[in-house]
Amino acid sequence: MISVYYFGAIALILVGLYAILVKKNLLKVLIGLSIMETGVNLLLISVGYVSGRSAPILSEGIGPNQAVDPIPQALVLTAIVIGVATTAMALSVAMLIYEKYGTLNIEEIRRLRG
Amino acid sequence: MNGQYAALLIALPLISAFFVPLLKGAGKNAVRYFLIAVTALQTGIAAWVFQGVYSTGQPIIVIAGGWKPPVGINLYFGHFAALFVLIVAAISFLMALFSLRAIEVEPIDKYAMLFLLLMLGATGMIATGDIFNLFVFMEITAISAYALTAYNKTGEAAEASMKYIILGGIGSSFFLVGIALIYGSLGTLNMAQIAQLAATMDPTVAQVGLALIIFGLAVEAELFPLNAWAPDAYQAAPHPVTVMFSAFVVKAGLYAMARILYLMQDVGGWGSVLKLLVVLATLTVIVAELAALRQRNVKRMIAYSSIAQIGLIALAFALGTQSGIDAGVFHMINHAIVKAMLFLAVGYVAMTLGGAEIENFRGLGRRMPLTAFAISVGAIATVGIPLFNIFWSKIRIILATLQVGYTWAAVLVLTASVVEAVYYFRLLHTMWFEGDGERIDENIVIGLMVLFLAALVVVIGIYPDYAWNLAQKAGNDIFNVAQYVKNVPLMGVGA
Repeated sequence: MISVYYFGAIALILVGLYAILVKKNLLKVLIGLSIMETGVNLLLISVGYVSGRSAPILSEGIGPNQAVDPIPQALVLTAIVIGVATTAMALSVAMLIYEKYGTLNIEEIRRLRG
Repeated sequence: MNGQYAALLIALPLISAFFVPLLKGAGKNAVRYFLIAVTALQTGIAAWVFQGVYSTGQPIIVIAGGWKPPVGINLYFGHFAALFVLIVAAISFLMALFSLRAIEVEPIDKYAMLFLLLMLGATGMIATGDIFNLFVFMEITAISAYALTAYNKTGEAAEASMKYIILGGIGSSFFLVGIALIYGSLGTLNMAQIAQLAATMDPTVAQVGLALIIFGLAVEAELFPLNAWAPDAYQAAPHPVTVMFSAFVVKAGLYAMARILYLMQDVGGWGSVLKLLVVLATLTVIVAELAALRQRNVKRMIAYSSIAQIGLIALAFALGTQSGIDAGVFHMINHAIVKAMLFLAVGYVAMTLGGAEIENFRGLGRRMPLTAFAISVGAIATVGIPLFNIFWSKIRIILATLQVGYTWAAVLVLTASVVEAVYYFRLLHTMWFEGDGERIDENIVIGLMVLFLAALVVVIGIYPDYAWNLAQKAGNDIFNVAQYVKNVPLMGVGA
């Protein structure tokens, strides 16, 4: 069964990839990376989503058969944390690059070649 | 003997990493010696696990929190993991010793912390039995690798790190999509259960998922076209970190790739994924060797040569036969030893003479004979001259390739070896027959380390049987998936 969420997720991944491949400004590239990660997380969530079921918290009237699959949600939580760490790392490296080169244009930052 | 203590291999570096900032108050040298002590202890535990696995022939399976897989996460120390965890720990120990001299840039406590996390990540990738856990360990490795690449705080280092981050970010996203596809169709993340259920998977979904996972891991494993970060990172990173990248971070990625590939050998259309990997691996070898030929910086040249060797290992893994995997694992062992020695020696030269440009290597044979000797042994071994260790694994990979019928791949790889011989002999010529210079005193600890590694190279070259035996057992661990599934105590869920 193909849900509409898959299309949204894949569209986000493609938008992110486009930004990474085409944009010249380093910060825009990193934003693209973040958009792509969001798309992947949405895809992961939609894998476990079942239409009409509730959140996987055991409460009154909701048994294991009425809840959505909790594992993708746990996975996405982990993936989000990792994504934040990567983004933080990337931004601090971008700061270092700006300090050393005085620019964020990736076409001008090319000391390593070959 | 309780196998659950093997979990210390993961726990020890993690806990120690958190103790590093506390030790900072006790002085800079305290941190350095702490690093050596922890890696020595890790080597001890790894040796104990190795001993346990190889003497009983049974894998050690650690079940986290007492939850049986697939509900809980398990660590699987089979023959392969036991062997490579030992290699990871031993090389980390040597590099901790090397860091005493090689790391001048402050802050040393951050370096030690990231060093331990890099070791932890590689160990975890090799040991884990759960694909999402694999992703987490891969990211731990990757993030500490990004930070260590940028550690020197030069423009080049920042640029190399940024390339690595962007490629690594794309790779990990692909990997996660692959996991989502596999989880979506099988409903499990445990490797043993994936292998059990693989036959029921829709072939198209399985192929796409597998290809995405291979692309994701190809960033860590440095396969063409996702290896553009590697030479820059190798050149810009501190010397001990370069050794660690080449000796085990890549190996962990390759192993994870091979493991997932073979777990899913029951899915329809598996052969086409293998063909994709054969093409990628062959391209990696050729492109890297040609790029190495025109490098002026020796560290960068050896980095390209390292990528080419990795391509060779990936080719061996992509053959889909037992003999191919055995040869690949054998090459992994040999490559870890040789490249550790080469990068160590070249790093030492770069430290002493102020750069790894080829001009600095003129007359090295007279100035630093011991280091020059180690580089020569490494160069000759990498080219694949008989009586050195890589000869045996290279010839086994070529034979295995011919066996499967990929004559074109074997021919291309052999041609690339000729290119390799050209630039290594150029380096040897520069070292021994050009230039003059005063003799420089060599550091005794580093001298002993390179001599030890050089001795290993020659010993394995003359008596390959013991190492080959280890490689065969480890290769069987990857190839024999039925045994793997049988070993993991799965709860009665699913099939």
